[in-house]
Amino acid sequence: MRTRNLFTSVLLVASLAQAQSYTAKVGVISSFTGAEQAFGEQHEHGYTLALEDINAKGGVLGKPLEIVKYDDQSKSDVAVQGVSKLVDQDKVPVVIGAYTSQSTRALVPAIMKRQIPLLIPTAVADNVMESKSPWVFRVCGGANDYAQATLDFLKVVGLPKSMALIYENTNFGQASAGAMRVHAKEAGIPIVADEAYAQGAPSYTAMLQKVKEKSPEAIYFASYLLDATQLMKQSRQVGLNPKIYTSAGTGFAVQAFISPDKGAGKDAEYTFSAQQWMPESKWPGSKEFAARVKARWGEDPSYHAAQAYASLVIVADAVKRAGKWDPQAIRDAIAQTQMMTIFGPIKFVNQQNQHPILITQVQKGAFVIVAPPDQAAAKWILPTPPWSARR
Amino acid sequence: MATLQAILNGLLVGGIYALIAMGMALVFGVMRLVNFAHGSFLMVGMYLAFFGYTLLRINPYWGFVLVGGALFLIGFGIYWLFIRRVMGQSDFLQILLTEGISLCLVGGAQLLFTGDYRSISLPLADRTANAGALNFNVAYAVSFAIALLGATCMYLYMRYTEMGRAIRAVAQNQGVAPLMGIRVGWVSGISFAFGVACAGAAGALLLPVFYVNPTVGGPYNLKSFVIVVLGGMGSLEGAALGGLLLGVTEGLTAYYWEDSYTQVVDFVVFLAVLLLRPQGLFGKKAP
Repeated sequence: MRTRNLFTSVLLVASLAQAQSYTAKVGVISSFTGAEQAFGEQHEHGYTLALEDINAKGGVLGKPLEIVKYDDQSKSDVAVQGVSKLVDQDKVPVVIGAYTSQSTRALVPAIMKRQIPLLIPTAVADNVMESKSPWVFRVCGGANDYAQATLDFLKVVGLPKSMALIYENTNFGQASAGAMRVHAKEAGIPIVADEAYAQGAPSYTAMLQKVKEKSPEAIYFASYLLDATQLMKQSRQVGLNPKIYTSAGTGFAVQAFISPDKGAGKDAEYTFSAQQWMPESKWPGSKEFAARVKARWGEDPSYHAAQAYASLVIVADAVKRAGKWDPQAIRDAIAQTQMMTIFGPIKFVNQQNQHPILITQVQKGAFVIVAPPDQAAAKWILPTPPWSARR
Repeated sequence: MATLQAILNGLLVGGIYALIAMGMALVFGVMRLVNFAHGSFLMVGMYLAFFGYTLLRINPYWGFVLVGGALFLIGFGIYWLFIRRVMGQSDFLQILLTEGISLCLVGGAQLLFTGDYRSISLPLADRTANAGALNFNVAYAVSFAIALLGATCMYLYMRYTEMGRAIRAVAQNQGVAPLMGIRVGWVSGISFAFGVACAGAAGALLLPVFYVNPTVGGPYNLKSFVIVVLGGMGSLEGAALGGLLLGVTEGLTAYYWEDSYTQVVDFVVFLAVLLLRPQGLFGKKAP
């Protein structure tokens, strides 16, 4: 008993000593280089503008806010090292990150061990939340929300008679396909092709050929940018013609995807995507934010930038309310958050922000919101014209 | 028909595999050198082709000759500076050295170009052609044709030129070759440079249909090992056919099973060949 008491008090002293040594900085982990660099760049834009705005309004607790960035190089093992770098070395009391679901999932245990609040801006796979740890909060909607929103949209435009799932065999891909499998079953849509693929292969034509032979009326993709581009180019090549191309955001939802130099260009036309945010979304400050990003970096932001922006704003707000740079106080303040941001209203229920999902379509080389009705800017174009009828 | 289409898709990718693997087979056959840096030379070739296109507007479809030439010189330089010193030494030293060279190349590329992915967009790469009910990407077909032509040229060169004969002589017997008046060091250097040039040229041909980043070579390096073992250690024809075969295997796997299993199948093939026919499909039994 005595030893246990002694042990407890040592722990207590140790944690007190630790508590006192936190710095007044926010740790940020994202994929600033590597395969997902396009998304890391979006995060970077969001964090940069949020930081400037927060500091223009006097910073946090009387001092300018500072962030410490860590680049996970788009690799999950590096992301985990980021937690020990940011928390153990730089002593940050709160972390925002990472970009991919794979990285985020990997760093959750490291965060839990250190008892530091983590705000997840972007990771869609629902298993990043399955720890139910009180330290983990998510700002974005999840894979299940994507599938749900996509199906709600399909119900409006007419349920397809069959569906194909094409997804990368990563955490994000598996989670998205899994969620859609459940929702499609509920809606009575048979899944006629269920294809996981290895990321970064030089050719997906054999897989797409196989899907083509099943002639699905709808396809649901879950892919990052490089593969999304290859998949659409090669879909044209094999003449894969579903009535509707849908997708779980991500690669199909960033500006680079519709750019002819960096992405699929014209082949991206007519594809639908679940989106978390658009410059045109009717939340206060969305348009202004998009205009600032465009003026500064010459490109419209994707939802990832808005998520990063909102995440930093939420943390700054929480620290203000906590009144000190202490992990426990900041965590409690985040849990109580109730505010309007450019990313919509923020309110955490079981640490998950209740975020509405938008559906967009690529029309004439731009993303246009087509659902839900209160956000829609244009009517959808359906059915998708076959490749042979394009151009 | 569907099977034919899957085979065609596989063949087109396999053509590029073949060119990469022939380079590795040459180095292995002549020098008994397992080159762990082979994939990194592919990456260097891709970057050269990338900057050749973006800065100087050199189309990779003829630029691959320049890239191959540049890589030939780089390869020869690396041979003279480093590889030469471990020739005839233990495999372990050779592996350490080539792996070290690979790390330097990848690290250097990361330093110079960051880890970002880059790609070029050629109008040709967007074009699809049909042959009956079969369809294929024109850029892949052109890359395939050039790879095949390159492989044939290399084969003829090895068969009918003085240097080719010398290279084959060294491959057959490093002890007797010098007695016949062949300068083994010189011939080894040329073979190594040829091998590296193959990887570089293949990189230039891969660029229009793929993207480049510093670590792009890794998977191709592994595939070349599989192909070289499949075709028979050091056999050029074996490597060429092995490359095509691996491409077709991958195409069929993706079609009849699932794309994410292609990598698994690659290595199952590798193990099966080692187990059942260790000399490879076209290799001669080890003495």
